[in-house]
Amino acid sequence: MNRQKMMKISVEQLNLFYGQNQVLKNISLEVYDKEILGVIGPANAGKSSLLRALNRLYEIDYARISGKIRLDGENIFNIPINDLRKRVGLIFATPVVLPGSIFKNMSYGPKLHRKIKRQELNDIVADALKAANLWEEVKDRLYDSASTLSGGQQQRLCIARTLAMNPEVIMMDEPCSGLDPISTAKIEATMLELKETYTFILVTNNTKQAARTADRTAFFLAGELIEIHKTKKIFTKPDDPRTDDYIRGRFG
Amino acid sequence: MDRHFDEELQKVKKNLLEMAALVEESITKALEALKKKDLKMASEIKEIDHRIDRFEIAIEDQCIELIARHQPVGTDLRFLIGVIKMNNDMERMGDHAVNIAGSVAFLIEQPRIKPVSNIWSMASEVKEMLKDSVKSFMDNDAERAQQVCARDNVVDEMRDETIRILLTHMLEQPDKIGSAIPLLLVAKNLERIADLTTNICEDVIYIAQARVIKHHAEEQK
Repeated sequence: MNRQKMMKISVEQLNLFYGQNQVLKNISLEVYDKEILGVIGPANAGKSSLLRALNRLYEIDYARISGKIRLDGENIFNIPINDLRKRVGLIFATPVVLPGSIFKNMSYGPKLHRKIKRQELNDIVADALKAANLWEEVKDRLYDSASTLSGGQQQRLCIARTLAMNPEVIMMDEPCSGLDPISTAKIEATMLELKETYTFILVTNNTKQAARTADRTAFFLAGELIEIHKTKKIFTKPDDPRTDDYIRGRFG
Repeated sequence: MDRHFDEELQKVKKNLLEMAALVEESITKALEALKKKDLKMASEIKEIDHRIDRFEIAIEDQCIELIARHQPVGTDLRFLIGVIKMNNDMERMGDHAVNIAGSVAFLIEQPRIKPVSNIWSMASEVKEMLKDSVKSFMDNDAERAQQVCARDNVVDEMRDETIRILLTHMLEQPDKIGSAIPLLLVAKNLERIADLTTNICEDVIYIAQARVIKHHAEEQK
């Protein structure tokens, strides 16, 4: 298979500073099309900063950046910010639902970008909720307040809301940190189904979650990328002893 | 998530069953070559054994990956541990088939010995045991597995009887010792295959019922 064709995002010599504090140090990596890339590492490893760099969310933090990031070969700094964030969605640890109904949460994004007829909007909402494995649970209560949903349902609503924007890459920052094992299993199952269509970057403190779901896994430590390999290799024979210590929970 | 993991477990099972089919083919062919003193057929066993070896490595690799990535517990953990052990036992059976095939060349060079019908009865019993052990794994059938284990004694008796007959031949006709020894080794290899089928059945029982029956562990409790 053509490696170039498979590449979705390429990061070259990326450095990110918050004031004097360098949070990403000379990071180079590739994200392949339609894979789940797991990103693991202890606190202050730079995992979330990487996500914030990839859709330029760091800009609102007044951080400084150097290096190259390309999406489908295109420099992301040349892509209009709204287009970039539509193409590269980000889902946070704590689900952020908008005030208002489930339907309103779902339709807000698509309506913001273009004028849509009601029927088309209904279809977009239903399709995204189905893809996020939430439709069966909410189809009879679309006009209930989104805040009445459980934590796990709210997180799947956030995934559905991202899907409604028809993104190419979905980045998830600790998407299951506040969820019970069953809700976590549903989110993971959703990701595994959706990776046929989308590219995922999954930042997680739960190494087992990366082990279960990611095709490849990157281990970050103190702003450095220590290694990135197929998940099987990372969890059976990592190259770096620091990775081995971390996955075995013997770190620090 | 569970569905995805279940599919992976099914793939492991399918691979082990394919490997078991090769082991059965290898043993059957080795015995056929021995019966017909067919060197060409005997030489084919090595090729089958290479395929068995490749299966062993691939299955072990699959199991390690699934344990590392999914941290299985309960039945899933017992299944993967059981498969790792069965995988090893089946590979050893393949080696015994190679040993049996290796006896063909020795027998051709030696003077003919009176047919030892015990060896063939033993061979067919061992093949049946293997077939049933594989079926018990396929169906997760602890009851069938238990029955196979009980048949190991029959094979042990057949081996002892075969050794007695061959020793008698050797004492009466020392010029036939060269022919008798390869047959002794065949009996030994068949008996080891039977032992390994009981190991497989012990693992089937462990997977299905979480019972450890080897070394009379339950009686010692």
